[in-house]
Amino acid sequence: MELLGTVVVLTIKSLIFILVMFLGAAYLTLLERKFAGHVQQRPGPLHVGPHGLLQPIADALKVLTKEDLVPDSVDKFLFYLASLMAFVPAIMILAVVPFGDPFTVFGVEIKPYITDLNIGVLLALAFGSISLYGVIFAGWASNSKYPMIGSLRKAAVLIGYEVALGFAMVGPIMMAGSFSLREIVEAQQNIWFIIPNILAFVVIIFCILAETGRTPFDVQEAEAELVGGYITEYTGMKFGLFPLAEWYIATFVLSAITVILFFGGWNPLPLMGWLPIPAIVWFFVKVFLLFMFFLWVHWTLPRYRVDQITELAWKVMLPLALANILVVAIWIMIFG
Amino acid sequence: MQIWISSEELESVKNQFEGINVEEGENFTSLTVDKNSLLNLLVYLKNSLGYKHFIDLFCIDYPLHKPRFQGIYILFNPEKNRRVAVKCWAEEDSLPSVVHIWKGAKWAEREAWDMFGVSFDGHENLVRMFLWEGYKYHPLRKDFPLKGIEDTYLPSLNLRPDEIPAHNYNPYHTKVPTLEDIERTQKSRMEKKNQIVLNWGPLHPGTHGTIWFLFDMEGEYVKNCDIILGQLHRGVEKIAENLTYTQFIPYTDRMDYISALCSQVAYVNAVEKLLGIDPPEKAKYIRTMMCELQRINSHLLWLGTFALDLGALTIFLYAFREREKIMDIIEGIAGIRLNSSYIRIGGVAKDLPDGALDVISHFIKDFPEKLEEYETILTKNRVWLKRNVDVGIIKKDDVYSYGLTGVVARSAGIPYDIRMVQPTDAYDKVDFEIPLGKVGDCYDRYLLRMEEMRQSLSIIAQCVEKLKNMEGKEYIATDYSNVLPTLEEVFNSIESMVKDFTLRVYGEKTTDGEVYLSGENPRGELGFYINSKGEGRPYRMRIRSGAFYNLQIFPELIKGRTIADAVAILGSLDPVVGETDR
Repeated sequence: MELLGTVVVLTIKSLIFILVMFLGAAYLTLLERKFAGHVQQRPGPLHVGPHGLLQPIADALKVLTKEDLVPDSVDKFLFYLASLMAFVPAIMILAVVPFGDPFTVFGVEIKPYITDLNIGVLLALAFGSISLYGVIFAGWASNSKYPMIGSLRKAAVLIGYEVALGFAMVGPIMMAGSFSLREIVEAQQNIWFIIPNILAFVVIIFCILAETGRTPFDVQEAEAELVGGYITEYTGMKFGLFPLAEWYIATFVLSAITVILFFGGWNPLPLMGWLPIPAIVWFFVKVFLLFMFFLWVHWTLPRYRVDQITELAWKVMLPLALANILVVAIWIMIFG
Repeated sequence: MQIWISSEELESVKNQFEGINVEEGENFTSLTVDKNSLLNLLVYLKNSLGYKHFIDLFCIDYPLHKPRFQGIYILFNPEKNRRVAVKCWAEEDSLPSVVHIWKGAKWAEREAWDMFGVSFDGHENLVRMFLWEGYKYHPLRKDFPLKGIEDTYLPSLNLRPDEIPAHNYNPYHTKVPTLEDIERTQKSRMEKKNQIVLNWGPLHPGTHGTIWFLFDMEGEYVKNCDIILGQLHRGVEKIAENLTYTQFIPYTDRMDYISALCSQVAYVNAVEKLLGIDPPEKAKYIRTMMCELQRINSHLLWLGTFALDLGALTIFLYAFREREKIMDIIEGIAGIRLNSSYIRIGGVAKDLPDGALDVISHFIKDFPEKLEEYETILTKNRVWLKRNVDVGIIKKDDVYSYGLTGVVARSAGIPYDIRMVQPTDAYDKVDFEIPLGKVGDCYDRYLLRMEEMRQSLSIIAQCVEKLKNMEGKEYIATDYSNVLPTLEEVFNSIESMVKDFTLRVYGEKTTDGEVYLSGENPRGELGFYINSKGEGRPYRMRIRSGAFYNLQIFPELIKGRTIADAVAILGSLDPVVGETDR
């Protein structure tokens, strides 16, 4: 009976998470478009709903009702699989991301996370890597030159930054002594892990920009060179899932993980703990700020060449991540 | 100002070579040489007299003369600022190829072959330049009709099944290329190996128009590159032979549609030299001012699209914000935003409207701040430096050999600017500097264009100062017999009406003559060679397009580099397909 209850609760919770994430991602598109608009001195979406507020709904309807063209020469199975492979793992990372401490409402304890695994960080990394198969499948299955070059570029970049990403996460894990994201947050009650881990934070920023395909690292879909990169042959919702997964869900989730690893998760800002602000609000404020940082970078910088990115990944970011481990080790030896 | 070869040098050429016929003139000086000693003469001019900058090569068709075709080579001496033209009759419809002397002749010879059927002995790859392989005719020959040769049965172009055919229904049409033809064109230029051949274009966001690149790729690296032009070829030179000089002005707009006013000024200056017209002072200042406004406009569009190609999305809208203001200014003065057709033979079409100078003054005041803004985002940006520095280096020799002009030439440190070499309009009365590059890479070309905008701004400011004192003065020299009267004159005097009528119907009659005059377009030297037989329209008009020659070095620059550099190099060369294809 207890098992059944757990299953029901988990199912309901997962559904809520997925639905909220879908809606949230839709509104993240609006946020990005508004932000880009104001960066570029134009108002952004304005006409659907009050001040363009219903624009994501209209976009979603449009993408869903578009004709779904599948070229004859594609590998159909991989072609369909690719868009799911990009999308599903990105949303699955949510399973291990906690949004706050358990709290009680009307006597019921609510845990704002689905599971609290003791290997949460590893699982998040693994899911993040799997979603890249979507990109590579998409390029290969399209049977076309531009998508193939796009996905090969992504593969080349991926090898570089995945290594650095893994090493960069070691620092906070060492300090918390746990792979569980929730325990990492709890370990940061006194001091945020950004303090000794500043190098790792730089690496993580680089890796998130590369993983989510934002400038300066958006080589796989460099529209001036490769038309649309790996999504050139896609239409309709299959097309829509890629940017949704990469640009919004992945960026958001990875921002959340970064906040957990470096900025104390849902711990309040130092010296501001007395404010009557719930933990979950603190958390989302931090995630939102980090997300906006990525948008800011995206809409400002030009893009690197693919060989320059791999160079940066191997020659700068990987040594930085390793150096960070050393720094943290010394930190732990001194301060315990 | 003497721009053509000096008499001492002519003497030395005459002593060196026998049977050389010299035609000296203020606007054009040419040496006519027979086919056997052509190469020797060209080598002598290049090595001994220093005429090493290749400017242009084209042909003229004289159907009644034997041999029928004449090739003309225009060369430039960068030390002495002198030009020379060499003419040579193409006996047996062929000329020796000069590709081994100037690499820039490669495409020019292909174009001459395409348009006239003159073959060039020793050219490694003499295929069609603009038209497709398998097309039988050579359209710039005088016996080729303007409407084309209607020899292909294509009822589908006229007939719709449920309609009665129109009275002029003709199922025969000029041949249009089929997919097989295009494939043949592609294959004849391709060295297919075990590589991916990437079709980059004709419709591709990175090509800035309808150019078709073939990249032989090995991984990300381009091993070989070939360019197929002609998707936007409209036969402008052929059209010019059938229009009066005034009627052709709108066509110059549509060649380089981004800098229409500069093209008009270059063309009208050439025609004025031919007709012996001196426009009034005010018109000269207006032209200079409009040219420089157009140059800023063109450079802003370049900046936006170049940054967009390299991934900086926001700069594009920033650049267009300012460009929009210039567009509004041009619209206010000329009445049209893009293809303005504002310049007329003998002056300009309309006087400056009230307040135009105030608006321009405001723009001059605001713009430097915006330029700073662009530079803040890009100039010292690490990513921008990484993508541009040491990419696509052009050497000084390449400039002479390929006939590069404009910013591309100046980036390599060659101070070749038509505004200085042969100042037209008010350029000799304004003060400005020519920025020069040191390395010749994409970054230099970026910096030069940014600096050029500042220089243009200072020229505009000087013109505005002058124009402020010229209110109400004459803006078009209608006293000349070959200048169209203004609308007011036509409505108020019968003589002007008659003059208007004759000029519009019969064209600007003049004596025989030749003229080559060029203007400094934002994209390089835009030269107009006009050969007149006194008919009221040109016998042959050759348009020397800067972008055409500048684009020619692209395959050289991209070899061994990645596809991502292709956008950087192409963007920094800044071709406009309307001008390359004409």
